[in-house]
Amino acid sequence: MSTAVADSPIPASDAIGAVMQTIRNALGDVLGLGDVAGAHLVGLSSDMAIMSMLALSAYLMLLVGRVSFGQQAFFGLGAYAAGVMTAMFHAPLAVALAVGVSLGALCSWLLAVPTMHLSGLHYAVATLAFGEIARILLGWWVWQRETGDGPVGPAGIDGFRDIRWLLENDVAPSEFLVLTLVLLVLVLAMLMRAERTRLGVALRMTGHDDVLASSHGIPVARIRQFAAALAGGLAALGGGLYAHRTTYIEPAVFDPMLGVHAVGYALLGGLGTALGPLLGVMFDLGLLDASRLFPGWRMVIFGGLVALFLRWRPRGLLDETLVHRLNGFRFFAGSVRAASPLSSGASNPPGRKEISS
Amino acid sequence: MTPNLRATRLILSCVCAVLTLALPGQVAAQSGSRPKVTLQCVSFGIGPMLECLIDLQGRDGTPLETAQVTLGALMPSMPMAHTIRPTRAESTGKPGQYIGRLELEMLGVWSVSVDISGPVRDKWSQNLLVHDCDEKARCAATPAARGDDVHMGRHRGAQPGHRP
Repeated sequence: MSTAVADSPIPASDAIGAVMQTIRNALGDVLGLGDVAGAHLVGLSSDMAIMSMLALSAYLMLLVGRVSFGQQAFFGLGAYAAGVMTAMFHAPLAVALAVGVSLGALCSWLLAVPTMHLSGLHYAVATLAFGEIARILLGWWVWQRETGDGPVGPAGIDGFRDIRWLLENDVAPSEFLVLTLVLLVLVLAMLMRAERTRLGVALRMTGHDDVLASSHGIPVARIRQFAAALAGGLAALGGGLYAHRTTYIEPAVFDPMLGVHAVGYALLGGLGTALGPLLGVMFDLGLLDASRLFPGWRMVIFGGLVALFLRWRPRGLLDETLVHRLNGFRFFAGSVRAASPLSSGASNPPGRKEISS
Repeated sequence: MTPNLRATRLILSCVCAVLTLALPGQVAAQSGSRPKVTLQCVSFGIGPMLECLIDLQGRDGTPLETAQVTLGALMPSMPMAHTIRPTRAESTGKPGQYIGRLELEMLGVWSVSVDISGPVRDKWSQNLLVHDCDEKARCAATPAARGDDVHMGRHRGAQPGHRP
């Protein structure tokens, strides 16, 4: 697959084509993408990057003290919206992703407005219910347009096939991986930078103790709604990328297990820094699933670890305390500074009250 | 240069890189030019293994002989998990016909993809229900229908002995 792509002619005069060709050649040389193993590595890396976006969206909700089991719904909305834009309206990928992100953020905000006053457990159930409603509605949604190769568009429970933007625009899987990684780095940079600001401190304070945060003048409801919108947009971005990577989506993809995994990755990796969810994804998808070290036992090990962590390390591996200990590393500096005002309650799970005065 | 300016420049550079990759490419969509793909698979053994026979035809009905065909599979109900290593399908010697084998992790509905490169580049996929069948039998993996159990392909009954 990749070999053929590498041989495809692209006009040298075309600036975009030249950039693509350079990336293609560089990645081909480094990874040896001509063989199937290389393609598998590229696919796996793309999956991990996409899943990281979903895990980061769950992380954002955990940061403000809310457990959401509905992030998969925004992932699905983003996937369908971006797929519709490119497959049915021939929009550029950037525009399609932007539409998906906007829709995900809007829906997440609309859900947050009436539900954010609920307690933690009730909010979790409400998001789970929303996720299932969205999945069922996607299963009912039939809207297709005729093309030269047959009808294209959402076909209810039969899914949405032929989201072929990458194929039609000659984008190799390795180039798509670069695009996905760049977007992930941008998101990470944005989150880690935000943690150094007053907004980042407000997010953490809201998650640790909303009453205390409110008494300090932090608009808790607005902060939570903002975090929900951001998390919804982030999940939708992952969904849009997923739809274009696989070229096929269906409602079954966005079942609650996907959302539960996203929360699990954030809880396992840690809530002390935005790098935590990535660690969770790398552990599960990279180590347990891809390596085949424990065939058939992956879910048992992953689920067991999440349960153990919830008991003995409720804020994950990279919690605020560990991030403090790593403060010698410049990379973690932002998170350390952001977490420092709240370090006394670092081991509290989201939503648990602490007496810090 | 202040840290803020440096960070802004870095972010702008990243945005430019994203736009370069994500804005429309050079090749326009070619409607009506996709090859015709016929997929028939059987499952057998432990794993189970899935052996697929792929027939490729151009739009004019002529067999696609020099294509590179890669088989892949994912489980729609568990996206980005159960990552199956793709395999290269080899020519059977019959024009336009290729055969490949995937090592699956469980029974149930799998979305099997056929990635084509060479004279034409395309990706085609179909949901197949991989049945539970006797240890030494070969069971046809049938196109998944609505209501099929996504994990344990026992609903529609195994068809031992059938081979495409």
